[in-house]
Amino acid sequence: MAISTTARSTYTLTLSFLPMAVALTLSGGAQQSPKQPEGQKLFLSRCSHCHGANGQGGSADPQPLAGTLSAKELASFIKKSMPSGPKKCPPEDADKIAAYIYDAFFSPLAQERIRPARMKLVHLTVRQFKNAVSDLVTGYHSAIPYVETHGLHAEYFKSRSRDAKNRAIDRIDPEVRFDFGTDGPAKEQFDPRNFSIVWQGSIFAPDSGEYEFSIHSRHSVQLWINGSRYPVVDGEVRSAGDPDPHGTVNLLGGISYGVYMVFTKATQGVDDTNKKNAKPVEPSFVTLNWRRPKHVLEPVPTQFLYKDYSAKSFVPSTPFPPDDRSMGYERGDGVSKEWDDATTAAALEAAEYVTKNLSEVSGIPDNDPNRDKRLRDYCSDFLKRAFRHPISDDLKATYIDKQFRAAATPEAAVKRVVVLALKSPRFLFREIGDRKDPFTVASQLSFGLWDTIPDPELIRAATTGELSNKDSVVAQATRLANDHRAWSKLRDFLLLWLKVDEVPDITKNPKEFPEFSSAVASDLRTSLELFLENTAWSKSSDYRDFFQSDTQFLNGRLSKIYGASLPPDSSFQQVPLDPDRRAGVITHPYLLSRFAYLDSSSPIHRGLLVLRNLLGRVLSPPPASFVPLGATARPDLTTRERVALQTKPEFCNNCHSIINPLGYTLESFDAIGRIRDKDHGKPVDASGTYRSKTGTLVQLAGAQDLAKYLATSDDAHSAFISKLFVHVAKQPPLAYGPTILSELQQSFAKNQYSIRRLLVDSVVATAIPSTTAMPSTRSAKL
Amino acid sequence: MNYFKTRREFLRDMGLCASVLPFVANLPSLSFSGKSLRKQRLIILFSPDGVVPSTFWPSAVGSEFELPPSLKPLEPFKNKTLILRGVSDRVRGDGDNHMRGIGCLLTGIELYPGNVQGGGDTPAGWSSGISIDQEIKAFLQKNPNTRTRFGSLEFGVMVPDHADTWTRMCYAGPNKPIAPIDDPYQMFGKLYGQAKDQEMLKSVLDDLREDLAKVRSQVGVKDRKILDEHTTLVREMEQDIRAARTRDVGHAIPVISPGVKRDNDSIPKLSKLQIDLLVSSFVGDAARVATFQFTNSVGDARFTWLGIPEGQHGLSHEPDSNKTAQEKLTRINEWYCQQVAYLAKRLAETPEADGHGTLLDNTLIVWTNELGQGNSHTLEDIPFVLVGNGLDFKMGRSLNMGHVPHNRLLMSLAHGFGHRISRFGNADFCAAGTLPNLT
Repeated sequence: MAISTTARSTYTLTLSFLPMAVALTLSGGAQQSPKQPEGQKLFLSRCSHCHGANGQGGSADPQPLAGTLSAKELASFIKKSMPSGPKKCPPEDADKIAAYIYDAFFSPLAQERIRPARMKLVHLTVRQFKNAVSDLVTGYHSAIPYVETHGLHAEYFKSRSRDAKNRAIDRIDPEVRFDFGTDGPAKEQFDPRNFSIVWQGSIFAPDSGEYEFSIHSRHSVQLWINGSRYPVVDGEVRSAGDPDPHGTVNLLGGISYGVYMVFTKATQGVDDTNKKNAKPVEPSFVTLNWRRPKHVLEPVPTQFLYKDYSAKSFVPSTPFPPDDRSMGYERGDGVSKEWDDATTAAALEAAEYVTKNLSEVSGIPDNDPNRDKRLRDYCSDFLKRAFRHPISDDLKATYIDKQFRAAATPEAAVKRVVVLALKSPRFLFREIGDRKDPFTVASQLSFGLWDTIPDPELIRAATTGELSNKDSVVAQATRLANDHRAWSKLRDFLLLWLKVDEVPDITKNPKEFPEFSSAVASDLRTSLELFLENTAWSKSSDYRDFFQSDTQFLNGRLSKIYGASLPPDSSFQQVPLDPDRRAGVITHPYLLSRFAYLDSSSPIHRGLLVLRNLLGRVLSPPPASFVPLGATARPDLTTRERVALQTKPEFCNNCHSIINPLGYTLESFDAIGRIRDKDHGKPVDASGTYRSKTGTLVQLAGAQDLAKYLATSDDAHSAFISKLFVHVAKQPPLAYGPTILSELQQSFAKNQYSIRRLLVDSVVATAIPSTTAMPSTRSAKL
Repeated sequence: MNYFKTRREFLRDMGLCASVLPFVANLPSLSFSGKSLRKQRLIILFSPDGVVPSTFWPSAVGSEFELPPSLKPLEPFKNKTLILRGVSDRVRGDGDNHMRGIGCLLTGIELYPGNVQGGGDTPAGWSSGISIDQEIKAFLQKNPNTRTRFGSLEFGVMVPDHADTWTRMCYAGPNKPIAPIDDPYQMFGKLYGQAKDQEMLKSVLDDLREDLAKVRSQVGVKDRKILDEHTTLVREMEQDIRAARTRDVGHAIPVISPGVKRDNDSIPKLSKLQIDLLVSSFVGDAARVATFQFTNSVGDARFTWLGIPEGQHGLSHEPDSNKTAQEKLTRINEWYCQQVAYLAKRLAETPEADGHGTLLDNTLIVWTNELGQGNSHTLEDIPFVLVGNGLDFKMGRSLNMGHVPHNRLLMSLAHGFGHRISRFGNADFCAAGTLPNLT
C-alpha cells in the first residue's frame, strides 16, 4: 500500500505487513548494536518477511524502506496502516518499530550512514582548478626536482654595468642576507664604492596568498617576481631616510616563481665622482625579506630558494568558495551557485589573459600568414590538455570551428574557446570509473601527486600506450613524486595530519611568557615546516624519523628561548635540542604551544591531537554540556591534577580516560613548549598509558616513550596511511576495495617506512587496479 | 559611505573605459517590480560562542524592561526591539554543540553523518535540510512580485577560508551549504561588477548545455545528479544575464574605501563596509533576504580594538567565577550589539524608494548565536534579539517563551512573509505551530 502527503517534500512510502506468525530470522541482521534492540526484534519478527531484514525490500514488497517522515509520523502511519489486514500493530510496538527503523535505515541520515563507499563524480578542487588553469594558460611550470642545496644564483660585478667581463664572482648564495661593511663583497677584489650584484633563480611559494617582499638596504635595489614587467620592489632611486622599499604580489601555493634581483652600489646616472676627493666609503648591506601569508617579516629562508629560473606563469586571482571538508579532507563534492559563479569569473579572467598575451602564450606572431589555422591548432591543443584526452572531430566542431565562425576576430574566437573549455564538464569534473584508459591513468597520477593536469611527458606516455604497463605507471609516479609539486602536496598533508593546516594565531599570557611574541610564533611555524621538509623530503624519507629525531631547526631568536647556543642573528639551522628529553615532531615547541592554553599546558588538547590525528581513533559522544574548572579556581593543583579532577565523573571519564593519559606524557613541556620539571611548584608526572585498537595496554613513561610508540605502532601507521591516501585520492579508500589500506601498510613496512614510496604506492593504487593485468586497449572516456 | 554623483565619475574611478558603458547602464535593480506591494525583508545576523546570560537577558518581562549591558547599544531602537528568551535548539544527533549550534540554527534539522570531529563529539557532516533564509528566499523568488535579482545575499566578516560544519549557517538544501562572502570587494563585484563579458558568455551557453547532455549520457546513473545540478546552474546563469539586461541601476553606486585587508584587526572596518553594502543592496532591491555572519561557530576573533588580547572562543570557556573573563565577554557581545544597532540605524535613516517609511519599517533583523552560553555549551536559551518592523511583530517587549523549540520561531519567520508552512526542519518540533504572542 502506498500513501502520499502534501508536506514540504512529497514522498511515497510503501509498507506492508504479513500476519504475525512469521519465523524470527536473524541472518543478515540489520546493525551490529542497534540503539533500539526491542524495536529491532519486533521488526525482524513481524515486518522483515515482506520488507527485508534491513528494510531493503523483499519479495512481497520490493520497495526499500526509506523516506522523509519523522519517527513520530512513521509510528502513527504504522499504527493506522500496518499490517494490511484488519488487525493493526499495537501502538506501543509501533513506536518501538518506528524508532528502530528510523534510526537504522529509514531516515535520510541513516541512508547516508549505510551507503556503501564508491567513487563519486567530483569536480576539481579549488587548488586543482587554479593549478590547472595556470598550467593551461602559460604552458607547463618548470619542474623543480628535489635538490640538496638551496639558494639563488649570484653574479658579482666590479662595476655598475653588468658586463660579463666585469664579473668577479659567480656562485650560489644560500640566502640574500649580507653586511658588506666598507670593504664590498670581497676585499681588494672590488671597489667598495662601485659594484653590483644580480641574484636569480626561483622562489617557492608554500601557500597561496599575498606575499610582501621588502629589501633592507640603503642602496639601489630592484626585485622582479614571476617575470613581472615592472619591479615588484622598486628601490632604484633612494632618498636619505626613506623606508625599505617593498611591494606585494599574489602567488599560488606549491609553485616556484622566477626571481630576478639587482643590487647596485654606485652613483646612479652620470658617474662624476672625483675619487681623489671622495668622502669615506659608506658601508653597505642587503637583505631580501618576505612576509608570507600569516607570518611576520623575515629574511627569505634558504629552503625556499632555487638556483634555476622558473618561467612566467599566470596566477588566477578569482576568489573561490572553499572546498567541502565534511569528510575530513578537501574534495570536489557537489556543486553550488557560488562555485559556479567563481568558475565563470575565473574562466573570464583566464580568457582575458590569453587574448591580451596571445602571441606570447600561443607562440604565434600577430603577423603570421597562417595565423587563423595556427590559432585553431593552438585551441585544439588547449582543449586536449584541458580535457586530458584526445579531441574527437565532433568536439572540435563544437568547441573550435563553431566559435571561430561566430566571432568577429581571431582574438574573440580564442576567448570563446577558452571560456567554453574552462566551463566544460570535461574540464571541471574529474574522470571516473574506467581505470584502464591510459589518459585517465595519466590524470590520476597527475592530480594525485601534483593537483593539476598531466604534463607533456605524461601525455606522451599515455599516447604511446606506455601507461598500459604497470612498471611504466610506477616509473611515471616516481618521477612526479620527485618533483617539488609533490612536496607541496605532501606538505599540505603533513600540516593537516598535525592539525595545523590553518595557521592559528598563537598568543600567550605576556606576564608569564614575556619572551613569546607573534615573531616567535611565526619562527616556530617556520621551524616546524623545516623539520617536516627535512624529514619527509630527505633521501631516506623515513616516517619513523618524525618521532626519532633528536634535532630541531632553530634561529637565533628561538635558540635564546629554548636554550640552544646560537648567535642572536643566526638563520635557521638544525641543532640538537634536549636530546634526552625531546623526540621529534611531537615535542616540537610549535605543536606544544598550539595545543596549550594562554598560560598553561593542555593535556586534553595534546591528547586529542595524538589520539585522533596520530593514532586515528574516533571517540564516542561526551555529555552535551559542561562547565570547565578554571586554573585559578584551584591554584594548589598541578595541571595534571586539575584535569584529572575535572574529568573524574564517569560520564566524562569514558573518553578522558583515553585522552588524558596520552596528553599527560607531554606534561614535561609548558605552554610554549619549554622543558619543565615542576608545575605549580610540584614535580611533573609525565607518565601515561594507551590501549591500542587490538587491546594491548601500553605504558608510557613520558614523551620519548610516546614518540617511540608513534614511530613503531600499527595504530599510528594505519592512521598515517589512511589519511595520506584520502589526501591523494579524494575518494573513500573502500571505494578501491576492502584490502587497499592493509596492502599499503604492508608495503610501507617493507619499504623502510619511506613516505615518498607510500605516496607513489598510494597514487598507483588509485590509478590502476592492484592485481588484475591491464589490457592495453583504449576505451570510452568521460 | 560616499556615493558617486554621476555614472561618469563612477566609471572614471573604477578605471573602466567607455566601451563598458552600455553594460554598466544595465546594472540591475528591480525598481519596477512589485511597485505597489510592501517590500518585506529579513536579515539574520550571527555572532558566535554564546553570551553571558546575566548581562544579556533583561530581568523583566513585558514592555517595561531595562536593556542590560550587552544590549545597551539598542537603546535608540528599544521600542522597535523584541527580545525572545526561552527559545531552545532542541535538535540532537551527530556533531558537537558548536557544530549543531550553527548547523541546526537556521535549519532546525539534524546534521548528516560525516567525519568532521568537534570537541570530542561524534563526527558529523553538513545539515540535512534547507535553512529558513533560503526557504523564504525560494518562496519570494517564486512570485514575480517579490522576485529580486539575487533573492538572498550572504555576508560574512572574517569567516575562515575553510568549508566545514562550523563555518556554514545557510543551506540551499540538504548537503548544500552556502559560502558567505566575507570580502567586501568581492561582494561589491557581485553587486556592481561590470557585465561586459556577459553577452559573450550567453552566446556560448547553448554549446555548453549541448555538451553537458552528451557527458551526462556517459556517466553512471548515480553520478548524473551532480551534472543535472550543474546544468541547472548554467540555466540560472543565463537567466541572471537576461535579468541583468532588462534592469536599470536605480540607485547610486556606493564607493567603498579601498585596501581593507581580511585580517583580525580590520574586523570593525570590514563589518562597517559589509553593513553599508548590505543596506545599499536593499536600496537597489537586489535581495529581500540577507544573512550576516561574524567569523564562525567557535569563532576565535581577538578583540584587540577593545583592549582584549585573548581569542573569543578561549575566553568563552572560562567559568562563571572568572569575573574578568565574563566582563570581557559582555563587552564583546556589546560590540556585536553595536553592529546590530549600526545596521538598524542605517536602515532607519534610509527612506523606501516609494516614499513610504524607511527600510527599517519593512525589515526584521534577527540577531542570533549558536549557543546560549559559551562555557556550558548549552543549546537552551539561544539568543534571539529582533529589531525592526518588517514582519509586523509587536516590538518593544522582552518575552520568555519557556523552553520552546526554535523550529517554531523559524516557522513564524516564514509565516511573517505569508509563507504558511506547517513544519520546518525536524517535524517533531513543529507540532505546536508558530510561536504565540509575537504579533
